[in-house]
Amino acid sequence: MFFSTIILAAEDMGPNPIAPENKELLWGAGSFLVFLFVMRVFLVPKVKKGMDARYGVIREGHETAQATRSSAQGDVAAYEASLAEVRSEAAARIDKARQTLDTERQAKMAQAAERIASKRAEADKAIEAARAAARGEVAAAVGSVTARATQLVLGKSPDANVVKRAVDSTMSGGRS
Amino acid sequence: MNVTTLLAFEFPPINVLLRWQDVAPTINKVVLIGIAAVLIGTGIFLAAARKDPKVAPKGARNLAEVIIEFIEKQIIMQTMGSSGLAWTPFLLSIFIFIYLCNVPGVIPFIQMPATARMGIPAFMALMVWVVYNATGIKHQGPVGYFKSVLFPPGVPKALYILVTPIELISTFIVRPFSLAVRLFANMLAGHLLLVIFALLSEALFQARDRILIPVGVLPFAVLLFLTGFEVLVAFLQAYIFTTLTAVYINMASHAEH
Repeated sequence: MFFSTIILAAEDMGPNPIAPENKELLWGAGSFLVFLFVMRVFLVPKVKKGMDARYGVIREGHETAQATRSSAQGDVAAYEASLAEVRSEAAARIDKARQTLDTERQAKMAQAAERIASKRAEADKAIEAARAAARGEVAAAVGSVTARATQLVLGKSPDANVVKRAVDSTMSGGRS
Repeated sequence: MNVTTLLAFEFPPINVLLRWQDVAPTINKVVLIGIAAVLIGTGIFLAAARKDPKVAPKGARNLAEVIIEFIEKQIIMQTMGSSGLAWTPFLLSIFIFIYLCNVPGVIPFIQMPATARMGIPAFMALMVWVVYNATGIKHQGPVGYFKSVLFPPGVPKALYILVTPIELISTFIVRPFSLAVRLFANMLAGHLLLVIFALLSEALFQARDRILIPVGVLPFAVLLFLTGFEVLVAFLQAYIFTTLTAVYINMASHAEH
């Protein structure tokens, strides 16, 4: 049997299963006390010291990262505030420029309208003058034709004033 | 082996199972396991202490740090609070030593927990008894300590007739006795269970019988299950012993308990 190979065959029945054996107790005590001494004095403090140092570095790193993050957040807030201020200023300038442009545009439009009105008046005047001149020429021609026709019909020249009045009356009074 | 011989199967007496020949004067298998536990525990922490603590821990360093954190967070902080952190080396040593004495019970070819013999549990319990009583005397003075133990504050004076003998027996006798017996009995029981099912499996497999050989699978499966269970028990007993030690030291440190 496999297990029987590790259970030693002996004449006696072996140790009491409950009572502690002195050699096991003493060796166990000695081993543990040595272990406790080495752990208490040398090993655990050294390992703990290293752990504490590393945790300290990690904690410091966390704190530095936190401070950097807070600082960056402050910078971002300041940047956004200045950006808003610049945007506000730019908007105000744009409004002002727009108002200025509107004013100038309106002034120029008024000037242009005035110029146009002036030129129109001048043109109307010229047209009126040309029309009057043309009418005079037409009236003179019509009068001349009328006087000649009358002379040919009646054998004597009509009064120039009468012809003129008749022509004027005809030209201004409409067609009959 | 047939059914008749199987029924005549005799389990060896317990003391025969625990009989180990001395490999050197006064040194038997149990003693060797105790010494090996110390060497392994020291070796792990020695390797851990030599590694650079500033880099991320690996291997032995990682293992040592995990054990330290387990003791500090799961035992000391839960039972003693931050004031008990000074007890880390002591409780850590107890935990590691007991665990490394327990676990050989499931290691092939060793298959014997050193704590399944009464020597080591008895010493550990006796040492804890000395430590928590000394701590109580140190923190409260001899009179204050014994007074707080035997006459717990808040108890009606008439009840001291009952409470004082109970506390006397409980604190000074039952505690160390229960510490030692709990560890020893659990480990011995586990060891015997493994032996029983191993011997039974072996007997059935060697029966050279068409019926008995397949039946042998059953105790063998139980043996495998119990082996896994004993791994848990090895850890659990070390944890319980260490936790109770922390509780007793903490109770002795504070008069209100």
